[in-house]
Order: sequence, then C-alpha cells, then structure tokens
Amino acid sequence: MKKLVGLLVVALLVLGSAAVFAEVANPEWWQKAAEPYKGVVIKGISESTPPSKAMVEVAAPEFEKLTGIKVQFEVTSWDEMYNKSIQDLQTGAGIYDFIYVEQDIIYAYLAQNWLTDLTPFIQNSAITEPNFDVDDFTSFINYFKDEKGNIYAIPFEAFLKSYIYRKDLFEDPEIQAAFKAKYGYDLAVPTTWEQYTDIAKFFTEYGKEKGIELYGHIAQAKTHPCVAYEMCESIWPAWGIYNWGINLEKMRASVENGGTLNSDQAKKALRWYVDMLQYAPPGVRTYTWDETAAVFGAGKVAQGLIYLENLGWLAQDETRSAVIGKIGVALPPTAPGVMDEAKAGKGYIGYYDGGALGIPHSSKNKEAAWLFIQWCARKEWQPEFARLATRVVRKSTFEDPLIKELDAKMGGYFTLLKDYGYLFAGAPALPMHRPLNELYLKWISKAVAGEVSPEEALDNLAKEVDELMQELGY
Amino acid sequence: MRERKAQVWGLLAPTLFLMFAIGVVPVIYILYLSAFKYNVFSRVGMVYTGFNNFRKLVFDADFLKSLRLGLTFVVLCCGIELPLGLLIANLLTLEFRGKGLFRTIMTLPLAMAPITIGSMWVLLMNPDIGPIPFYLRKLGIEYNIGVNPTQAFFTTVLVDIWHWTPFVVLTFMAGLSALPKQPYEAALVDGANRWQVFRYITIPLLKPVILTTLFIRIMDTFRVFDEVWMLTSGGPGTATRYVSIHLVRLVLQSMEYGYSSAMSLFLLYLTIVMCWLLMTFISSSQEAT
Repeated sequence: MKKLVGLLVVALLVLGSAAVFAEVANPEWWQKAAEPYKGVVIKGISESTPPSKAMVEVAAPEFEKLTGIKVQFEVTSWDEMYNKSIQDLQTGAGIYDFIYVEQDIIYAYLAQNWLTDLTPFIQNSAITEPNFDVDDFTSFINYFKDEKGNIYAIPFEAFLKSYIYRKDLFEDPEIQAAFKAKYGYDLAVPTTWEQYTDIAKFFTEYGKEKGIELYGHIAQAKTHPCVAYEMCESIWPAWGIYNWGINLEKMRASVENGGTLNSDQAKKALRWYVDMLQYAPPGVRTYTWDETAAVFGAGKVAQGLIYLENLGWLAQDETRSAVIGKIGVALPPTAPGVMDEAKAGKGYIGYYDGGALGIPHSSKNKEAAWLFIQWCARKEWQPEFARLATRVVRKSTFEDPLIKELDAKMGGYFTLLKDYGYLFAGAPALPMHRPLNELYLKWISKAVAGEVSPEEALDNLAKEVDELMQELGY
Repeated sequence: MRERKAQVWGLLAPTLFLMFAIGVVPVIYILYLSAFKYNVFSRVGMVYTGFNNFRKLVFDADFLKSLRLGLTFVVLCCGIELPLGLLIANLLTLEFRGKGLFRTIMTLPLAMAPITIGSMWVLLMNPDIGPIPFYLRKLGIEYNIGVNPTQAFFTTVLVDIWHWTPFVVLTFMAGLSALPKQPYEAALVDGANRWQVFRYITIPLLKPVILTTLFIRIMDTFRVFDEVWMLTSGGPGTATRYVSIHLVRLVLQSMEYGYSSAMSLFLLYLTIVMCWLLMTFISSSQEAT
C-alpha cells in the first residue's frame, strides 16, 4: 500500500513538473543557473495590484518549483509598500532582495543610489537567460535607465490611465435620441472637456429620472495622495499643464518663476475638477484608485478616467464585474491644441503608468533576485501575464493570438496601448516627487473640500512648491 | 547580600538593555535630528539649524490647526467617555436580567484592533453603500463624511467613544468594587438619598480611579491614528487631520525628518506636562482622602 502511495506521489510530481516545464522555454537553463542559489530565500515587496498578485500567485510558485529558490513576496497597500521599501533602502537593512519600483519614484531612488545597476547582470550569460532580449521591451523600459543608459529595474507592468465608458449605454438608441434632443449633437466618445461635461451631466440626470443608480463621472477625490496624482497625471496634462506645472529647467512652479502651476489654465482645470464632482456618486470624495474601478465595475458610472490595469477583471471576472462586454476605451478628452502638442512630442495627454522590479543596493541575494525578475519578464509568459493583469511590457506580446483575442473583449485597449501609447507619458523627472505629492495633496484636497477656492489653493501650492524646491537645494 | 544584588541586576539586565535600545536610543536620535534641516530627498543633505525647527513650529499654521483639532478631539472624547462610563459602571452595580450578556457584548470592541474598528466603520459610514447614511437619508438627513467636515469630525469622535467607553466602564467597575462599605452604611443611617451617596461618597472615593482613567484616555486620544486613518485619512480637506495624522504624513510622505523630530519632541513635552499636571492632581487628591 505504502509503495502504491509512493508511486502515485512520484507520478503526480512528474506530471506537475511537466506542466510547469511546458510553459518554460528553457527549463534546463533555469535549473542550471539557479543551482548555486538552491534553498536561498529571496524576499520582495510590491503594491497589491493585479500584476503583483499574478506574480505572487502564479509566477513565484512555478519559479520555486523549478529552481528551488524560495520566494517570499509581500503585496501590500501602496502607502505601506513605500514606507517599508524606503525604510529598507534608507537604512540599508537588506530586508528585501527585490522591490517594486514605480515609474514615478525611480528618479528619487536613482538620486540616492538605492538601486543595483542591472546592466552587468544582463551581460552575464551565466545568470541571464539567452532569450531575455532587452530590445524586445517597449519604450517603457527607458524610464528605468540612468543618463548613461544603464538599466536599474525591469518593467513588469505598464498601462494607461485613460478614458473608459459604457459602450452599451452610448449605443442605446433611446439614450442617443434623448442626448441629441438635449444637447443638439450625437452622443459619442468625447474629444473635448465640454463634451465630457455634457455627457456627465446627461447621464447623472438620466439616472435620477429613471430612478437608477447611474452617474456620469467618476474621480479619485479622497484626501489621499491619489487626488494629487489624478490632477497631475491625468487632468492637467489633458488641459495642457505638463510636468505637474513645474518648469523642469528652473525647478519652480509659480508663474512668476517660470512654472504653470498657478496659471489661469491650471486654475480653470482644477475648478472644473471640483465642479464635476457633483456628477459623480455621493461617495466620490471617499474614493481612491481602487474604488473608482470598483464603482465602474458595479455599473454605476457611464464614463470616467481610470487606471486601465483594472480592465482585466472588469472585462472578464463575472464575480466582480457587472459590465462584461459593455466596456469601451478611448483617448481622454483634451483642451484645444493639446493633442497636436502630444503628437509633436511637445506634450502628453495622460499618464503612462507602470512599474518594474529592481534590486536594492543592500540585497544579500542579488543573483537569485535577478533570476526571479527575469522569470517574471520571460517572453513566453507575457501573454498569460497580460490576460491575468492587463499589462504589456514587451513588443512581442502585442502579436500574440491571446492578446488579439483579449483586445476585442477589452474594447480595443491593447491596440490603443500599442498605437497611441506614445501620446501618454510617465511622471516627470522629479526626485523629490513624494514630498511634492504631499503638498499637492494638501492644497488640492482643501479645494475639493471647499476649504479654499481652487484659485487660492493653486496660488498657495505654487508658492510652497517653490519654497520646497529651494529648501531641497534645487 | 552582594550575590543577591548581582542576581537582581542580572535578571534586570535584559529588560534594561531592551528599554535602553528601543526607548532611550530613539529619543536621543530624535533629539539629534531635531537640530537639523533634513529631508531624505534633499540635495544639500543635513543642515544644522539649532533650535530653528522648534521656532518654525510656532509659525506653522498647519501644525497649529492640527494641534487644535487634536486637542478638541481629546476634550470631546474624554468629556463624553468618562461620564458615560461612570454611568454605565454604576448601572452595572445593580442586578438586572441579561446583565452578564450586556457586559460581554459591551466589552467586545476592546478585543478588536483599532485598524479593524476603522475598517468596520468605513463600511458602516460609506456614503454609497453604508447602512447608517442609507437610513439617515430615509429620515431626510444627508450624512456624508467625505463631504461634510463636521460630520466627519463627529464620526471620528463617535467611533472613539464606541471603541473606548467599555474600557472606562471596566476600570470604573473595578474601582467601584474596591470601595469600602462603611461610608455607604453610615450614609444610609444618616438618611442620605442615592444622589447624595453618589455625589458625596462615590465620586470622592473614586477620584483616583477617575483621574487615572482620564490620564490613560488623554494619552490614547491624543495619539489616535488607526481609526481616523481608515475612516477619513484626515479629510475632508483638513477637517480630521489631528496632530498624530499630521505628524505621520510629515514623516512618511514628506520625509521631513528634522522638522518632524522637533514636532515629536514638542508633542512628547506636551504629553509629559499634561501627565505631570494630572499626577500632581492625583497625588494631592490622594493625600486629601
């Protein structure tokens, strides 16, 4: 009996290994490269996002099984992830062997020499898989390079924050007729903020008239860093205010010092943002990035700008989403001239967000961590990773049949990412972006709460940003 | 005798070492940092500024507002929790049906972590799906802690009262059960009514317990964090940005290590002064009784 059980266990193990090997292009290489690090425990931290969860739940267990390297991967809230990572980096404690490096924090980490240069690792054939192919990464990898072109982190997620809408509502003949009767033009994806405002107003009133819970707008307006990011990354760029309103040459924000943060256009955009909250659900001032996607998924909102990394579950997960098959995505509306500036490379219309995995300077298991980072970025897993987490970091992934199939389900999102990704941009090179965000949060949330007018908020904010820059030595 | 002394010190040594390492060393480090202008993201590094960070505190409108809000929160919470706790503790000295069950349910919040309490109340108060705003809306009351600063403020007070009044009740119950019986018997013989017994016997005898409880609650409410962080994160705007929240944001988000160290020291000083005043009051009241 014991023999029979033993045989069964062995058979199951072999079958299990075969299943893993089937997804790995070069299993022998991985086993050989990992041989010196077998039994090593690597510890990492990331934000609790769909891509991170996919790495924890799918990539890490398979990696452990194949290589014998143990992965302790902590996924936590955005704030907690930064608190823990920065404390580890700053003290050099060496707790983490790999960390989440969000696109906008890379400048701060590079300025402090907190990350390991991965270029020598990439050039070392003993620990870099032959098919790794750096050139296959999209241009998003450039955000993780220093001025000399050395790579400090490998992207695992990249996505847009763009316009999302309810296709079923926009295509409903009754709604189309009602909209045209009210505003005198056809209901379609808005290209201007005026059209966006009309649509928001229309759907909120429509919801009230019909007695259904439906609103025309959504925002991440909680007193939380997210409200500052929404203005800086999505709203202001589409209104023609770039780089957080900061003049990157002078490192100043106020109009008198060459910035645009308290310009008339920036004030107009913030006033619009605050006024628009009336067309969002009542709880909008308690929403962060998580709630905006959740509320859209619950079918309560007709349109909005959200982080499209959520499209995966919005378009596929029946247990969480009420809008499967009803989603459309498009470029965000823009102020006059902004789209032309973006096409000419002089501006951008929204945020190209994402993150990468980097190795802290204090890690004690750099080679083992590097193997895991490569494992998450390996070509053959990318389409499945995109299915699980709606992210693409390699050019070859766009050509995969699975992605083409998913593209249709996600309202053409991958095509939008591939064809129009260049119109979006990551955060500007502001190494002090964390303390800056706190200032932006303070004044924007005061404006959102009505403690001060948007105009007063931006005048004070621009003044304080200039003071902070000076204090920090810029 | 010498051997015994050595044994005592030997046994105390690990604790003393730990207390020194995690209690004294950080305070010395904070004291050191408070004399510098130091932001992690600064290009100029640490700049010695002497007492300038303390001077800055006096002119920092955001800090002063958060301090005022924090102290208002302390006064309101303690001002409600203590009388309410005393009332419930007195009621629990009476015999009635279901007393045991009531006492068990009442103490349940104490077994829960503040962060859990915060999460629970976030759901209860959610303007979209929360039952409390839902039923209040049916009564014609618009309750939205994301919009109305007064409602947000009083919600944080309400949550603190809900969470911590049971603790006050328990300490008062312990105090009441330890009171001597003779004064009560003498009062009955003299014909005192229940109010007079409560006013002139129970309250004076319970004074040290009341002051000790007040002392603990002041410390706790002054450094409230988890529940408020979960509920409002200090908002809407700055309506619930109590001094503890303000300080955490300054350290973890702004990374202003120098200035926030000075602020921490000032708050420590303020706490010590309040403790000292209360301790003096407790001592004098104990001497009087």
